[in-house]
Amino acid sequence: MIHGAKHAFESTALTLISAVLFVGFFHLNDWIFSIFDYSEDISWVFLPAGFRVILVLTIGLPGALGMVLGIWFMDRDLFTQSDAALAFLNGLAGGLTPWLVMEFMIHRRWLDPKLQDLNAAQLLKMTLIFAATSALVHQLVWLLLDRPHMNIWVDIWPMFVGNASGGLLMLYGFKFVLDRTRNKAQLDR
Amino acid sequence: MEKTQTPFASAYLRFLQLTRVIQALPDGQGMDANESALLQSVVLRWYEDQPMTVREAIGLADLGSPATLHKRITRLREKDMLSTLNQEGDRRAKFLIPTQRTLDYFQHLGRSMQQAQLNPIT
Repeated sequence: MIHGAKHAFESTALTLISAVLFVGFFHLNDWIFSIFDYSEDISWVFLPAGFRVILVLTIGLPGALGMVLGIWFMDRDLFTQSDAALAFLNGLAGGLTPWLVMEFMIHRRWLDPKLQDLNAAQLLKMTLIFAATSALVHQLVWLLLDRPHMNIWVDIWPMFVGNASGGLLMLYGFKFVLDRTRNKAQLDR
Repeated sequence: MEKTQTPFASAYLRFLQLTRVIQALPDGQGMDANESALLQSVVLRWYEDQPMTVREAIGLADLGSPATLHKRITRLREKDMLSTLNQEGDRRAKFLIPTQRTLDYFQHLGRSMQQAQLNPIT
């Protein structure tokens, strides 16, 4: 009973932390890369895509649910208008798609649930797969809901490029920090 | 043995795995086997207190032609693995010496070798 409560508490905390971090990175992206905006919702550089990779791989379902909550929070105005379905599905597409892809890869034994044997090449491939599936599912949702002024065959590319470039930028930014930290630790020894 | 991990512990352990993978991401700074062989020859001479000159390095016929070795030296300098030093009084002789990055790299290799000896795979 206590173990179950502790498990639920930690999962909830991870979900909320993921939501806050995802929203934070979303705003940071808006602030830094607004010049790369292709349209209102699509940017040629989308940093949260990299964060999505890290969250889903490390936290799993709570991380994905956190992203769903984060996206719903950012789209909260749409819920009060007539676009509630769009906002609802947007959140599910953005948060759950990478997690479903990861679960599929685990199910097919292409990925170990504890990330053992994961190497750099696989991580790069996963980042590109997440970028592609996320762009595709988002575009399909928008197509399904007859969103005006959209052309899936055109809009999917900037979204994919934005996800991929943001993902790679985030991973290499993280690598840069890790390398600097390791070098400093070696010098301090 | 069944291990029960809390979500926090599990997330942290997977984060550690991920940081290991992220650190191994290719960054264009890695060396190929030929560059590594040249670097080892240069550093060995430096270690023996007889640093190699650029002229001597491009004359290491067993590692390649002078033109190839010159390009390789340039690449190692661009990767911050080698630097050059001019001898006082003779600006023509340019010596190749390892950088701090190279010393860190060899230190890392030495430590890995030591670890492998202490924890042999059975």
